[in-house]
Amino acid sequence: MLSALVWLPLVLIVTTILGAVGALVSHLPLPALAEAVSSPETRFAVAMSLRTSLLALGLALALGLPAAWLLARRRFAGKAVIETTLDLPMVTPPLVAGIGLMFLLGHQTPVGGAAQTLGLGLLFSPAGVVLAQTYIATSVIVRSARAAFGAVDPGFATSAATLGVPPLWSFLLVEVPMAGRALLAAAVLGWARALGEFGATLMVAGATRMHTETLPLAVYLNIASGRTDIAIACALTLLALAFALLLAIRLLTAERDNSLRGDADARLAA
Amino acid sequence: MPGLQLEGVANAVLAPLALRVRAGEAVAILGPSGAGKSTLLKIIAGLLPHRGRVVLGGQDLTGTPPHRRGIGYMSQDLHLFPHLTVAQNLHLPLLFHRGTRTARTARVAETLRLCSIAHRADRRPASLSGGERQRAALARALVARPRLLLLDEPFANLDHATRATLWREVDSLRRDLGMTALIVTHDPAEAAALADRSVRIAGGILTERTDTTCSPLMTTPCFAC
Repeated sequence: MLSALVWLPLVLIVTTILGAVGALVSHLPLPALAEAVSSPETRFAVAMSLRTSLLALGLALALGLPAAWLLARRRFAGKAVIETTLDLPMVTPPLVAGIGLMFLLGHQTPVGGAAQTLGLGLLFSPAGVVLAQTYIATSVIVRSARAAFGAVDPGFATSAATLGVPPLWSFLLVEVPMAGRALLAAAVLGWARALGEFGATLMVAGATRMHTETLPLAVYLNIASGRTDIAIACALTLLALAFALLLAIRLLTAERDNSLRGDADARLAA
Repeated sequence: MPGLQLEGVANAVLAPLALRVRAGEAVAILGPSGAGKSTLLKIIAGLLPHRGRVVLGGQDLTGTPPHRRGIGYMSQDLHLFPHLTVAQNLHLPLLFHRGTRTARTARVAETLRLCSIAHRADRRPASLSGGERQRAALARALVARPRLLLLDEPFANLDHATRATLWREVDSLRRDLGMTALIVTHDPAEAAALADRSVRIAGGILTERTDTTCSPLMTTPCFAC
Protein backbone atom coordinates (compact mmCIF):
# COMPACT_ATOMS: atom_id res chain seq x y z
CA MET A 1 0.00 0.00 0.00
CA LEU A 2 2.80 2.41 1.03
CA SER A 3 4.85 1.52 -2.05
CA ALA A 4 1.84 2.30 -4.25
CA LEU A 5 1.46 5.70 -2.55
CA VAL A 6 5.10 6.56 -3.36
CA TRP A 7 4.19 6.41 -7.06
CA LEU A 8 1.18 8.72 -6.68
CA PRO A 9 2.96 12.12 -6.95
CA LEU A 10 4.91 10.98 -10.03
CA VAL A 11 1.76 9.67 -11.71
CA LEU A 12 -0.07 12.91 -10.84
CA ILE A 13 2.67 15.12 -12.33
CA VAL A 14 3.03 13.10 -15.53
CA THR A 15 -0.75 12.83 -15.95
CA THR A 16 -1.14 16.59 -15.62
CA ILE A 17 1.54 17.27 -18.25
CA LEU A 18 0.13 14.69 -20.67
CA GLY A 19 -3.40 15.89 -19.90
CA ALA A 20 -2.52 19.46 -20.91
CA VAL A 21 -0.91 18.23 -24.14
CA GLY A 22 -3.82 15.88 -24.84
CA ALA A 23 -6.33 18.67 -24.26
CA LEU A 24 -4.51 20.81 -26.82
CA VAL A 25 -4.39 18.00 -29.38
CA SER A 26 -8.02 16.98 -28.90
CA HIS A 27 -9.34 20.55 -29.00
CA LEU A 28 -9.22 20.66 -32.79
CA PRO A 29 -10.28 17.97 -35.25
CA LEU A 30 -7.29 16.70 -37.25
CA PRO A 31 -8.25 18.33 -40.61
CA ALA A 32 -8.70 21.72 -38.91
CA LEU A 33 -5.39 21.27 -37.11
CA ALA A 34 -3.63 20.41 -40.38
CA GLU A 35 -5.12 23.50 -41.99
CA ALA A 36 -4.03 25.70 -39.06
CA VAL A 37 -0.50 24.29 -39.11
CA SER A 38 -0.14 25.08 -42.82
CA SER A 39 -1.66 28.56 -42.55
CA PRO A 40 0.60 31.46 -43.65
CA GLU A 41 0.66 32.91 -40.14
CA THR A 42 1.78 29.64 -38.52
CA ARG A 43 4.41 29.12 -41.21
CA PHE A 44 5.64 32.70 -40.72
CA ALA A 45 5.85 32.19 -36.94
CA VAL A 46 7.77 28.91 -37.35
CA ALA A 47 10.23 30.50 -39.80
CA MET A 48 10.64 33.61 -37.64
CA SER A 49 11.20 31.52 -34.51
CA LEU A 50 13.77 29.25 -36.17
CA ARG A 51 15.63 32.12 -37.85
CA THR A 52 15.82 34.36 -34.79
CA SER A 53 16.50 31.60 -32.28
CA LEU A 54 19.36 30.13 -34.34
CA LEU A 55 20.88 33.60 -34.75
CA ALA A 56 20.45 34.19 -31.02
CA LEU A 57 22.06 30.82 -30.32
CA GLY A 58 25.09 31.76 -32.44
CA LEU A 59 25.47 35.09 -30.63
CA ALA A 60 24.93 33.49 -27.22
CA LEU A 61 27.61 30.86 -27.96
CA ALA A 62 30.06 33.47 -29.26
CA LEU A 63 29.61 35.53 -26.10
CA GLY A 64 28.86 32.77 -23.61
CA LEU A 65 31.65 30.25 -24.25
CA PRO A 66 34.61 32.59 -23.68
CA ALA A 67 32.82 34.12 -20.68
CA ALA A 68 32.12 30.67 -19.23
CA TRP A 69 35.74 29.61 -19.78
CA LEU A 70 36.96 32.74 -17.98
CA LEU A 71 34.66 32.08 -15.03
CA ALA A 72 35.72 28.42 -14.85
CA ARG A 73 39.46 29.04 -15.16
CA ARG A 74 40.33 32.40 -13.62
CA ARG A 75 40.02 33.89 -10.16
CA PHE A 76 39.46 37.64 -10.01
CA ALA A 77 38.09 40.33 -7.71
CA GLY A 78 34.29 40.62 -7.76
CA LYS A 79 33.79 37.19 -9.37
CA ALA A 80 30.95 36.26 -7.02
CA VAL A 81 29.10 39.50 -7.83
CA ILE A 82 29.59 38.95 -11.58
CA GLU A 83 28.38 35.34 -11.38
CA THR A 84 25.30 36.42 -9.44
CA THR A 85 24.63 39.14 -12.02
CA LEU A 86 24.91 36.58 -14.82
CA ASP A 87 22.32 34.40 -13.11
CA LEU A 88 19.83 37.29 -12.83
CA PRO A 89 18.17 36.76 -16.25
CA MET A 90 17.46 33.15 -15.23
CA VAL A 91 15.59 33.99 -12.06
CA THR A 92 13.87 37.28 -12.90
CA PRO A 93 10.69 37.18 -14.99
CA PRO A 94 11.58 37.78 -18.66
CA LEU A 95 9.09 40.64 -18.66
CA VAL A 96 11.29 42.48 -16.15
CA ALA A 97 14.36 41.88 -18.33
CA GLY A 98 12.33 43.08 -21.32
CA ILE A 99 11.33 46.36 -19.67
CA GLY A 100 14.97 46.97 -18.72
CA LEU A 101 16.17 46.26 -22.26
CA MET A 102 13.42 48.46 -23.70
CA PHE A 103 14.51 51.44 -21.60
CA LEU A 104 18.20 50.72 -22.29
CA LEU A 105 17.66 50.64 -26.05
CA GLY A 106 15.13 53.45 -26.39
CA HIS A 107 15.90 55.97 -29.13
CA GLN A 108 16.70 58.67 -26.56
CA THR A 109 19.33 56.60 -24.76
CA PRO A 110 23.03 56.54 -25.80
CA VAL A 111 22.89 52.83 -26.71
CA GLY A 112 19.65 53.10 -28.63
CA GLY A 113 20.83 56.30 -30.33
CA ALA A 114 24.09 54.67 -31.39
CA ALA A 115 22.25 51.64 -32.77
CA GLN A 116 19.90 53.98 -34.66
CA THR A 117 22.88 55.85 -36.14
CA LEU A 118 24.28 52.54 -37.38
CA GLY A 119 20.95 51.82 -39.02
CA LEU A 120 20.19 49.07 -36.54
CA GLY A 121 16.66 49.52 -35.30
CA LEU A 122 16.55 47.19 -32.32
CA LEU A 123 13.21 48.02 -30.74
CA PHE A 124 9.99 46.61 -32.24
CA SER A 125 11.83 44.78 -35.01
CA PRO A 126 13.07 41.23 -35.70
CA ALA A 127 16.50 42.41 -34.46
CA GLY A 128 14.79 43.08 -31.13
CA VAL A 129 13.52 39.48 -31.10
CA VAL A 130 17.10 38.24 -31.59
CA LEU A 131 18.33 40.57 -28.86
CA ALA A 132 15.74 39.39 -26.31
CA GLN A 133 16.38 35.73 -27.14
CA THR A 134 20.17 36.21 -26.97
CA TYR A 135 19.81 37.88 -23.57
CA ILE A 136 17.98 34.88 -22.12
CA ALA A 137 19.94 32.15 -23.95
CA THR A 138 23.33 33.62 -23.01
CA SER A 139 22.55 33.31 -19.32
CA VAL A 140 21.63 29.62 -19.71
CA ILE A 141 24.69 28.87 -21.86
CA VAL A 142 27.15 30.67 -19.55
CA ARG A 143 25.88 28.75 -16.54
CA SER A 144 25.93 25.32 -18.22
CA ALA A 145 29.19 25.88 -20.12
CA ARG A 146 30.92 27.11 -16.97
CA ALA A 147 30.13 23.78 -15.32
CA ALA A 148 31.26 21.94 -18.47
CA PHE A 149 34.64 23.71 -18.59
CA GLY A 150 35.00 23.38 -14.82
CA ALA A 151 34.73 19.60 -15.17
CA VAL A 152 37.77 19.50 -17.49
CA ASP A 153 41.03 19.15 -15.55
CA PRO A 154 43.02 22.38 -16.20
CA GLY A 155 46.12 20.17 -16.37
CA PHE A 156 45.18 19.32 -19.97
CA ALA A 157 45.45 22.98 -21.01
CA THR A 158 48.73 23.26 -19.11
CA SER A 159 49.96 20.15 -20.88
CA ALA A 160 48.97 21.61 -24.25
CA ALA A 161 50.86 24.83 -23.43
CA THR A 162 54.06 22.95 -22.59
CA LEU A 163 53.71 21.09 -25.91
CA GLY A 164 53.80 24.41 -27.76
CA VAL A 165 50.05 24.80 -28.36
CA PRO A 166 49.03 28.51 -28.18
CA PRO A 167 46.22 29.35 -25.68
CA LEU A 168 43.46 29.98 -28.28
CA TRP A 169 44.20 26.68 -30.04
CA SER A 170 44.39 24.88 -26.73
CA PHE A 171 40.89 26.20 -26.01
CA LEU A 172 39.57 25.15 -29.43
CA LEU A 173 41.39 21.82 -29.87
CA VAL A 174 41.62 20.56 -26.30
CA GLU A 175 39.17 22.16 -23.87
CA VAL A 176 36.14 22.58 -26.14
CA PRO A 177 36.26 18.98 -27.48
CA MET A 178 36.81 17.61 -23.98
CA ALA A 179 33.79 19.50 -22.68
CA GLY A 180 32.07 18.67 -26.00
CA ARG A 181 28.88 16.84 -25.12
CA ALA A 182 28.16 19.03 -22.11
CA LEU A 183 28.69 22.12 -24.27
CA LEU A 184 26.41 20.69 -26.93
CA ALA A 185 23.76 20.04 -24.28
CA ALA A 186 24.22 23.64 -23.05
CA ALA A 187 23.73 24.90 -26.62
CA VAL A 188 20.56 22.84 -27.08
CA LEU A 189 19.21 24.10 -23.76
CA GLY A 190 20.03 27.68 -24.75
CA TRP A 191 18.31 27.18 -28.09
CA ALA A 192 15.23 25.76 -26.37
CA ARG A 193 15.09 28.81 -24.09
CA ALA A 194 15.47 31.16 -27.07
CA LEU A 195 12.76 29.33 -28.99
CA GLY A 196 10.29 29.58 -26.12
CA GLU A 197 11.18 33.16 -25.14
CA PHE A 198 8.08 35.33 -24.74
CA GLY A 199 8.16 38.03 -22.04
CA ALA A 200 11.35 39.85 -23.00
CA THR A 201 10.52 39.53 -26.71
CA LEU A 202 7.09 41.07 -26.13
CA MET A 203 8.66 44.09 -24.41
CA VAL A 204 11.61 44.63 -26.75
CA ALA A 205 10.20 43.60 -30.14
CA GLY A 206 6.47 44.02 -29.55
CA ALA A 207 3.81 41.62 -30.78
CA THR A 208 3.24 42.67 -34.38
CA ARG A 209 1.48 40.11 -36.54
CA MET A 210 3.62 38.83 -39.45
CA HIS A 211 6.51 41.11 -38.43
CA THR A 212 7.94 40.10 -35.06
CA GLU A 213 5.61 37.17 -34.62
CA THR A 214 7.50 34.22 -33.13
CA LEU A 215 5.67 31.04 -32.10
CA PRO A 216 5.06 32.13 -28.47
CA LEU A 217 3.87 35.55 -29.68
CA ALA A 218 1.61 33.87 -32.23
CA VAL A 219 -0.01 31.84 -29.45
CA TYR A 220 -0.56 35.02 -27.43
CA LEU A 221 -1.86 37.11 -30.35
CA ASN A 222 -4.25 34.46 -31.62
CA ILE A 223 -5.67 33.53 -28.23
CA ALA A 224 -6.26 37.26 -27.64
CA SER A 225 -8.01 37.67 -31.00
CA GLY A 226 -10.05 34.46 -30.78
CA ARG A 227 -8.15 32.50 -33.47
CA THR A 228 -7.86 29.42 -31.25
CA ASP A 229 -6.95 27.10 -34.16
CA ILE A 230 -3.79 29.04 -35.06
CA ALA A 231 -2.89 29.39 -31.37
CA ILE A 232 -3.19 25.63 -30.87
CA ALA A 233 -1.21 24.87 -34.04
CA CYS A 234 1.60 27.15 -32.86
CA ALA A 235 1.48 25.76 -29.32
CA LEU A 236 1.72 22.19 -30.62
CA THR A 237 4.61 23.11 -32.91
CA LEU A 238 6.42 24.63 -29.92
CA LEU A 239 5.71 21.53 -27.86
CA ALA A 240 7.04 19.25 -30.61
CA LEU A 241 10.22 21.32 -30.96
CA ALA A 242 10.72 21.44 -27.18
CA PHE A 243 10.22 17.67 -26.94
CA ALA A 244 12.77 17.05 -29.71
CA LEU A 245 15.32 19.36 -28.06
CA LEU A 246 14.83 17.83 -24.61
CA LEU A 247 15.22 14.37 -26.13
CA ALA A 248 18.45 15.53 -27.81
CA ILE A 249 19.81 16.79 -24.47
CA ARG A 250 18.85 13.52 -22.79
CA LEU A 251 20.57 11.46 -25.50
CA LEU A 252 23.67 13.66 -25.47
CA THR A 253 24.10 13.46 -21.71
CA ALA A 254 23.27 9.74 -21.65
CA GLU A 255 25.90 9.04 -24.33
CA ARG A 256 28.39 11.07 -22.32
CA ASP A 257 27.67 9.05 -19.20
CA ASN A 258 28.03 5.83 -21.20
CA SER A 259 31.32 6.93 -22.75
CA LEU A 260 32.68 7.89 -19.32
CA ARG A 261 31.57 4.52 -17.98
CA GLY A 262 33.20 2.87 -21.03
CA ASP A 263 36.48 4.70 -20.36
CA ALA A 264 36.41 3.61 -16.73
CA ASP A 265 35.71 0.01 -17.76
CA ALA A 266 38.53 0.08 -20.30
CA ARG A 267 40.88 1.43 -17.65
CA LEU A 268 39.90 -1.29 -15.24
CA ALA A 269 40.32 -3.93 -17.96
CA ALA A 270 43.77 -2.54 -18.76
CA MET B 1 71.51 20.70 -27.64
CA PRO B 2 71.54 23.78 -25.37
CA GLY B 3 72.42 23.73 -21.69
CA LEU B 4 70.27 25.06 -18.87
CA GLN B 5 71.24 27.63 -16.30
CA LEU B 6 69.17 28.68 -13.28
CA GLU B 7 70.26 31.91 -11.58
CA GLY B 8 68.71 32.88 -8.25
CA VAL B 9 65.46 31.14 -9.12
CA ALA B 10 63.04 31.38 -6.19
CA ASN B 11 59.40 31.62 -5.24
CA ALA B 12 57.29 31.11 -2.10
CA VAL B 13 58.37 27.45 -1.90
CA LEU B 14 61.97 27.59 -3.14
CA ALA B 15 64.90 29.48 -1.66
CA PRO B 16 67.05 31.22 -4.30
CA LEU B 17 68.92 28.48 -6.11
CA ALA B 18 71.47 28.11 -8.85
CA LEU B 19 71.94 25.13 -11.11
CA ARG B 20 73.84 24.52 -14.31
CA VAL B 21 73.03 21.57 -16.57
CA ARG B 22 75.42 20.99 -19.44
CA ALA B 23 74.15 20.43 -22.97
CA GLY B 24 73.15 16.80 -23.40
CA GLU B 25 73.38 16.12 -19.67
CA ALA B 26 70.60 14.57 -17.57
CA VAL B 27 70.26 15.71 -13.97
CA ALA B 28 67.96 14.06 -11.44
CA ILE B 29 66.32 16.15 -8.72
CA LEU B 30 65.80 14.06 -5.62
CA GLY B 31 64.01 14.97 -2.42
CA PRO B 32 61.06 14.17 -0.20
CA SER B 33 57.46 14.97 -1.13
CA GLY B 34 56.64 18.67 -0.83
CA ALA B 35 60.28 19.71 -1.07
CA GLY B 36 59.70 21.82 -4.16
CA LYS B 37 60.97 19.44 -6.89
CA SER B 38 57.88 19.68 -9.08
CA THR B 39 57.64 23.41 -8.36
CA LEU B 40 61.11 23.86 -9.85
CA LEU B 41 60.13 21.99 -13.03
CA LYS B 42 56.95 24.06 -13.38
CA ILE B 43 58.99 27.26 -13.02
CA ILE B 44 61.35 26.11 -15.79
CA ALA B 45 58.36 25.17 -17.98
CA GLY B 46 56.92 28.66 -17.45
CA LEU B 47 53.89 27.50 -15.50
CA LEU B 48 54.63 29.35 -12.23
CA PRO B 49 55.78 32.91 -11.54
CA HIS B 50 59.23 33.24 -9.96
CA ARG B 51 62.17 35.48 -9.21
CA GLY B 52 65.58 34.97 -10.83
CA ARG B 53 66.49 33.85 -14.35
CA VAL B 54 65.95 30.66 -16.33
CA VAL B 55 68.45 30.59 -19.22
CA LEU B 56 68.28 27.90 -21.90
CA GLY B 57 70.96 27.81 -24.59
CA GLY B 58 71.98 31.35 -23.68
CA GLN B 59 68.42 32.66 -24.04
CA ASP B 60 66.74 34.16 -20.97
CA LEU B 61 63.29 32.58 -20.82
CA THR B 62 61.92 34.96 -18.17
CA GLY B 63 58.59 36.26 -19.43
CA THR B 64 58.44 33.73 -22.30
CA PRO B 65 55.05 31.94 -22.24
CA PRO B 66 55.13 28.13 -21.86
CA HIS B 67 54.14 27.44 -25.46
CA ARG B 68 57.12 29.39 -26.80
CA ARG B 69 59.82 27.86 -24.56
CA GLY B 70 60.58 24.78 -26.66
CA ILE B 71 60.59 22.57 -23.57
CA GLY B 72 59.09 19.08 -23.38
CA TYR B 73 57.35 18.53 -20.05
CA MET B 74 55.90 15.22 -18.93
CA SER B 75 53.93 15.54 -15.71
CA GLN B 76 53.16 12.71 -13.33
CA ASP B 77 49.49 12.84 -14.37
CA LEU B 78 50.51 12.50 -18.05
CA HIS B 79 47.39 14.35 -19.28
CA LEU B 80 47.15 12.53 -22.58
CA PHE B 81 44.24 14.10 -24.44
CA PRO B 82 41.46 11.53 -24.05
CA HIS B 83 39.50 12.60 -27.17
CA LEU B 84 42.50 11.97 -29.44
CA THR B 85 44.26 8.77 -30.43
CA VAL B 86 47.89 8.27 -29.46
CA ALA B 87 49.04 9.36 -32.93
CA GLN B 88 46.77 12.43 -32.82
CA ASN B 89 48.20 13.30 -29.39
CA LEU B 90 51.60 13.47 -31.09
CA HIS B 91 50.32 15.32 -34.15
CA LEU B 92 48.81 18.16 -32.11
CA PRO B 93 52.08 19.80 -30.96
CA LEU B 94 53.56 19.47 -34.46
CA LEU B 95 50.70 21.51 -35.94
CA PHE B 96 52.39 24.58 -34.46
CA HIS B 97 55.84 23.86 -35.87
CA ARG B 98 57.09 24.45 -39.39
CA GLY B 99 56.93 21.46 -41.69
CA THR B 100 54.74 19.74 -44.21
CA ARG B 101 52.02 17.26 -43.37
CA THR B 102 54.20 14.48 -44.74
CA ALA B 103 57.10 15.52 -42.54
CA ARG B 104 54.80 15.67 -39.51
CA THR B 105 53.43 12.20 -40.19
CA ALA B 106 56.95 10.83 -40.61
CA ARG B 107 58.08 12.46 -37.35
CA VAL B 108 55.09 11.02 -35.47
CA ALA B 109 55.74 7.54 -36.86
CA GLU B 110 59.44 7.75 -36.01
CA THR B 111 58.78 8.93 -32.43
CA LEU B 112 56.12 6.28 -31.86
CA ARG B 113 58.60 3.65 -33.01
CA LEU B 114 61.41 5.06 -30.85
CA CYS B 115 59.13 4.90 -27.81
CA SER B 116 57.88 1.39 -28.71
CA ILE B 117 54.25 2.47 -28.85
CA ALA B 118 53.65 2.41 -32.62
CA HIS B 119 51.38 -0.63 -32.27
CA ARG B 120 48.94 1.51 -30.23
CA ALA B 121 48.96 4.54 -32.56
CA ASP B 122 45.23 4.36 -33.31
CA ARG B 123 44.07 3.69 -29.77
CA ARG B 124 42.60 6.19 -27.33
CA PRO B 125 44.55 6.70 -24.06
CA ALA B 126 41.74 5.18 -21.96
CA SER B 127 42.29 1.79 -23.59
CA LEU B 128 46.06 1.68 -22.91
CA SER B 129 47.83 -0.04 -20.03
CA GLY B 130 49.77 2.04 -17.48
CA GLY B 131 53.12 1.40 -19.17
CA GLU B 132 51.70 2.14 -22.61
CA ARG B 133 50.31 5.43 -21.38
CA GLN B 134 53.73 6.41 -20.00
CA ARG B 135 55.31 5.56 -23.36
CA ALA B 136 52.68 7.57 -25.23
CA ALA B 137 53.17 10.59 -22.94
CA LEU B 138 56.93 10.36 -23.34
CA ALA B 139 56.57 10.13 -27.12
CA ARG B 140 54.34 13.22 -27.09
CA ALA B 141 56.87 15.16 -24.99
CA LEU B 142 59.66 14.19 -27.41
CA VAL B 143 57.89 14.52 -30.76
CA ALA B 144 58.77 18.19 -31.31
CA ARG B 145 62.39 17.42 -30.30
CA PRO B 146 62.38 19.98 -27.46
CA ARG B 147 65.48 21.84 -26.39
CA LEU B 148 65.03 20.52 -22.86
CA LEU B 149 63.09 17.57 -21.48
CA LEU B 150 61.47 17.82 -18.05
CA LEU B 151 60.21 14.58 -16.51
CA ASP B 152 58.20 14.84 -13.28
CA GLU B 153 58.06 11.46 -11.50
CA PRO B 154 57.78 9.94 -14.97
CA PHE B 155 57.19 6.34 -14.07
CA ALA B 156 55.38 6.50 -10.75
CA ASN B 157 52.60 3.98 -10.18
CA LEU B 158 54.19 1.33 -12.40
CA ASP B 159 55.37 -2.07 -11.30
CA HIS B 160 59.12 -2.45 -10.84
CA ALA B 161 59.70 -4.64 -13.92
CA THR B 162 57.96 -2.14 -16.23
CA ARG B 163 59.82 0.76 -14.62
CA ALA B 164 63.19 -0.95 -15.08
CA THR B 165 62.42 -1.60 -18.76
CA LEU B 166 61.33 2.00 -19.29
CA TRP B 167 64.40 3.36 -17.47
CA ARG B 168 66.71 1.50 -19.86
CA GLU B 169 64.74 2.57 -22.94
CA VAL B 170 64.35 6.21 -21.94
CA ASP B 171 68.01 6.59 -20.99
CA SER B 172 69.09 5.08 -24.29
CA LEU B 173 66.61 7.22 -26.25
CA ARG B 174 67.66 10.44 -24.51
CA ARG B 175 71.32 9.72 -25.19
CA ASP B 176 70.58 8.93 -28.84
CA LEU B 177 68.75 12.24 -29.22
CA GLY B 178 71.46 14.05 -27.22
CA MET B 179 68.78 15.73 -25.17
CA THR B 180 69.33 17.83 -22.05
CA ALA B 181 67.00 16.65 -19.27
CA LEU B 182 65.87 17.32 -15.72
CA ILE B 183 64.19 14.40 -13.98
CA VAL B 184 62.25 14.76 -10.74
CA THR B 185 62.04 11.62 -8.65
CA HIS B 186 62.00 10.54 -5.05
CA ASP B 187 63.60 7.23 -6.01
CA PRO B 188 67.45 7.24 -6.06
CA ALA B 189 67.45 4.05 -8.15
CA GLU B 190 65.47 5.86 -10.84
CA ALA B 191 67.83 8.83 -10.59
CA ALA B 192 70.82 6.58 -11.04
CA ALA B 193 69.23 4.83 -14.02
CA LEU B 194 68.15 7.96 -15.86
CA ALA B 195 70.58 10.72 -14.92
CA ASP B 196 74.27 11.51 -15.21
CA ARG B 197 74.22 13.17 -11.79
CA SER B 198 71.78 14.11 -9.04
CA VAL B 199 70.94 17.13 -6.96
CA ARG B 200 68.73 17.18 -3.89
CA ILE B 201 66.02 19.58 -2.79
CA ALA B 202 64.86 19.61 0.80
CA GLY B 203 62.90 22.38 2.47
CA GLY B 204 63.14 24.46 -0.70
CA ILE B 205 66.99 24.38 -0.67
CA LEU B 206 68.95 22.72 -3.47
CA THR B 207 72.22 20.94 -2.77
CA GLU B 208 74.52 18.90 -5.00
CA ARG B 209 74.58 15.19 -4.11
CA THR B 210 77.99 13.66 -3.70
CA ASP B 211 77.23 10.14 -2.44
CA THR B 212 76.79 7.36 -4.96
CA THR B 213 75.49 4.70 -2.61
CA CYS B 214 72.37 4.01 -4.65
CA SER B 215 72.49 1.84 -7.71
CA PRO B 216 70.01 1.40 -10.55
CA LEU B 217 70.12 -2.29 -9.84
CA MET B 218 68.44 -1.83 -6.46
CA THR B 219 65.10 -3.55 -6.43
CA THR B 220 63.49 -1.27 -3.84
CA PRO B 221 63.62 2.53 -3.59
CA CYS B 222 66.26 3.87 -1.22
CA PHE B 223 64.34 6.52 0.77
CA ALA B 224 67.32 7.17 3.05
CA CYS B 225 69.25 8.87 0.23
